[in-house]
Formats: sequence, structure tokens, C-alpha cells
Amino acid sequence: MTATLEVSGLSKTYGSGEQAVHAVRDVSFATEPGEFVAIVGPSGSGKTTLLAMIGGLLTPTHGSIRVRGRDIAHLRGRQQAEYRRRSVGYVFQANNLLPFLTARENLMVVNAIGRGSRRAASARARQLLEELGLASRAGALATQLSGGEKQRVAIGRALMNNPELVLVDEPTASLDSQRGRQVVESLISEVKGRDKLGIMVTHDMEMALLADRILEMHDGELHQRARGA
Amino acid sequence: MIGLLEMRRRKFQFGLIAMIVMLISYLVLMINGLGVGLNVLAGSALRNFNADAIAYSERAGLSVIRSEMSQESVDRALSAPGVTAAAPLGYVAANYSDSRGKIRSAAFLGYDPGTIGEPRVTSGRALTAGDGNGLLADRSFLKAAGLDVGDTVEIGLRLGVRTFTIVGEINEGAFFFQPAVYILRDTWRDLKYGDMPAAEQPAASIVLLKGKGVTGKFDDYEAVNKETAFANIEGVSGQQSTVTSLRAFGYVIGALVIGVFFYVLTLQKISQIGVLKALGASSFYLFRQVLAQVVAVLAIGLAVSLPLAWATERALQRLPESVPIAFTNGTFVTTSALLFVTGLGGALFSGRQVARVDPIIALGQQQ
Repeated sequence: MTATLEVSGLSKTYGSGEQAVHAVRDVSFATEPGEFVAIVGPSGSGKTTLLAMIGGLLTPTHGSIRVRGRDIAHLRGRQQAEYRRRSVGYVFQANNLLPFLTARENLMVVNAIGRGSRRAASARARQLLEELGLASRAGALATQLSGGEKQRVAIGRALMNNPELVLVDEPTASLDSQRGRQVVESLISEVKGRDKLGIMVTHDMEMALLADRILEMHDGELHQRARGA
Repeated sequence: MIGLLEMRRRKFQFGLIAMIVMLISYLVLMINGLGVGLNVLAGSALRNFNADAIAYSERAGLSVIRSEMSQESVDRALSAPGVTAAAPLGYVAANYSDSRGKIRSAAFLGYDPGTIGEPRVTSGRALTAGDGNGLLADRSFLKAAGLDVGDTVEIGLRLGVRTFTIVGEINEGAFFFQPAVYILRDTWRDLKYGDMPAAEQPAASIVLLKGKGVTGKFDDYEAVNKETAFANIEGVSGQQSTVTSLRAFGYVIGALVIGVFFYVLTLQKISQIGVLKALGASSFYLFRQVLAQVVAVLAIGLAVSLPLAWATERALQRLPESVPIAFTNGTFVTTSALLFVTGLGGALFSGRQVARVDPIIALGQQQ
């Protein structure tokens, strides 16, 4: 299953009048199926806000977000949660694994939320952990994993529900450069290997250069950036 | 269930909360047990009367101590419309010496054999008309006095001492916080009014009545049902309101403690809740996890406190000077149900907090 994302005229404004803060201004872009896109920019440029809107965590002020033709920009409540559950896989900056669960259980949480088959989920979790080189750590509690292992478990969790979009927020923030690069390469390999759409927010240009395309944000506005520029 | 899995992995943390629930439910159970025990001591003998209503003299204000009924009043009560059976009963408090010579008090109730005032004998024999110096003693009396059926006991009243033989054991309970002792009504009159001319002696303190529509105010007596009579025993209403207040405080404090514990636990897990929401978990799904934890903690707490309270009651009953404590199945069921309901009510605060968490915090942004 391939994913196509079309963002059109997307804006997010906090407050109103003179105190209005335009976090994202009139952003438009489209992606190809199987593409891995990096969004770069300084802190406060609006890249995480953009990611949150695409991932159904924030509702835009204006504009549309079409995922395989369906506008998800103005979903609310339960529908928004269902979109996140079915169509989106997240890799968060601080990995955010549940500390009292093992690596395998952290993957299966996605299934527990979605009420899927436990047996099928268990098999999928095992398969993903094997592919991520974590088969031997499946039974380790999240607190017993290294930073790199945690991020790889987080990648597995993001892929667990076979989502259309994999959204990644600063995945190397807590890792050294070598381990960070390994994690991002592993992430890109997993996403592209499954023909998903990957969007990674990062301020690390070295990591961004691993993506197929780089979008740059400044003051809430999006600029296409040529590779190597 | 992530909630239950979390409990398994955080046994110490949840074990402490379960222990708090256990201690609170134990406390509430003990207060209830002591309340029931005090009620038993206050007037279980009255509740055990084989009667639908109790008649008091007109000016007694529903006090057995102050009620004195003449033979005419007793006859009027006996023949009142709707009365199918009736029995005059006399009451007097008197001292006796137990087996160690210690002076104790007991509630002496004078009755006529063959009437509805006669108690059921569980051991020994019933009193007959010739047993002027015989008595039927409640098992609590025998336990406290260290006496048995067949033993004699000295009863002190009005500067004199009279020796009685215990001819039978009964299980009627207590009256005015004293064990009940049944004697013949003639003996009662002699004990209480022996120095008065016979014509001036009251015939009874109260009259037990059976029948429908027999309560109300009449010419020279007032009849009320047993619950009203019980509530009018001196000190009972104050004692009951105290016990009821203690129980209510117990339930409220229980709900608050459980609610606060889970609320704090929820606050500590805000970021995890945010992540789960970002992964697509609904507020209802997460609230179900909290609810499962609250139910499990309450169940564990109660599963320990119920048998502990029961064992405490057994142990206290074995003491020579037994503490007035009693449990009924109703006490356990009602206390458990109310603690469950109040505990779940307290947990609703956590549910409210869960619903408020914005999944955006998973991305490290402010709510």
C-alpha cells in the first residue's frame, strides 16, 4: 500500500489580533509514494507544528491535508484518534517508550489500543524486532535498553500498525552522531522497504541529507531546498 | 490490558496503594462492627422481643426506665382492638457478684411464663411459677460472670442481697448495655417494689403487643413499634448518630484517599498518556485502564481487610472483657459496596484528568 500526501495552503495561528502567532503560514507540498522527506529549520520555525498537523495531533487554522485523497485536516476527537491509530506511525524525539513494558510489549501496545488480534500482533512484533536486530532484547524492559535500542524499538512501534505515514520528530536528539546515523538509516530502510511515506523533522543536516528530499522552514514558511545546498 | 500489566510490573507502588485501601476499609469495617456491637449491647433483647409493638405508660416518654404501668393500664393494653397477644414485662437494673466476687450489673426482666414475653431457653430449663428464686441468664451474662446453668448468683438490690439459681441459658442479648436476665414478674415486683404496699405496686414497666394497628397514643399508654422503641433507648440515638458520622467520614475519606492517589499517579504519567493518545488511544480506552487499576486495587484491599476484620472480631470476642463488636453479612456487603462506589467515584477525577491530556505533549510541545 502506498501513501500520497498533499498539503495545501496549510496555516496554524495561535491567538488573534495583534497577539496572533503564525506558527505555520500557507504551506503547500506533495509527496511521492515511498518517499522519505526531511524537514529542517531552526527552533521555532514551525516544523514540529507542521508535523503535528499532518499527524492529526493539531488542527490547522486553514488549509487541507490529504492522505490518499482523504482530507484529514479538520478531523476531531474520536475520528482524529482513529486516523492516528490506523494511518500514522510516530517516532518521537525522546522515544517515549512505556518504561514498565518490555520491548515486545511496547510494540504490542499499538495493537492493544486498536483491539487487533493478539496472536497476529505478537507475530508482527517478533518479526519487526528481528528486522531491527532486537530479537534478543524483546523481553527486556524499556528501562534496560540503550538509547539506540530504544529508538529502534520506537521505529518498530511506529511500523506496527502498518501505517501510511511514518512521522519522525528529531530521532537522533538523544543519540551520538554515529548511533544517530545508524538509527536514521535503519528508519529510512524500513520505511522505504515497506513503500510508506516518511517525514522526518530534524535540525541535523547530516541526517537530513540521508532523505530523498529536504524541505526547509523559516518563520513558518516552507522552502524547497536543493540537495547539497 | 496495559493498566493491569502496569500493576504487575509496579507491584511495590500499587501494593502500597492497595495497603492504604486495605487499612481504610479495615477502619471503616471496624467502625461499622463497633456500631453494630454497640447497638447489640444497647438493646438486642428489645429487638428480640416476640412482639410487634411495645406499650409504655403515658408519661414515660417512651423510656423503659421511667415507664410504670398499673394493672388497669396493662389490662387496657391487653384488650385493645387489634391485639392478638400481649404480655406485661417488668424491668429493673440490679447488681450481682460474678464468680470472682466482682460486682457487675444486669438488666432483670420480669415476665409471666406461657406468654409472648417468655424467652427461648437454649440450655437448662424454663422458669415455672414456683421458681421465685430462679432466673434465666443470657449467655453474655454467663460468660462475663464466669457462671453456668445450675450455679447460684447473689443479686443485690435496695440494700439487700438475694440468692438466685441459674436454671436456664438464653440467647436474647442485652438491654441498656447490660446482659439480659429473665425472672418471674412476681419476683421482679418484689425486687423493685418490695417495700411498697401491694395495691400501689405497678404491674409492669411495659407491655409487649402483637397484632396490626396496635401502635398509637391511647388513654393511659403509648404503643410504638420495636424500631421506634429501640431508637428511644436512652443514649441510642446519640450513639447511632456518632457511629453514622464515623462511617460517613470513613467512606468520604476512603474515596478522597483513593481518588487522590490515582490522581497523583495519573499526573505522574501525563507524558505516557500523551504518547498513548498520540498513538491513537481514546480517552475512554485510557480511562478504562485507570478504572481497571482502581477496581483491582479496591478488590485486593477489600480481599485482605474483610477476613482481617472478621478475624479481629473473633479475637476480640475471646477476650474476657469482650469488646462490643459484631459483624453481619450485611455489614460486609454494604461496606464493600459503598467503598467500591466511593472509591470509583474518587477515581473519576483521574478520568477527568486523562480526558484533558492533549496528545501534542508527546512531541514535547506545551498543552
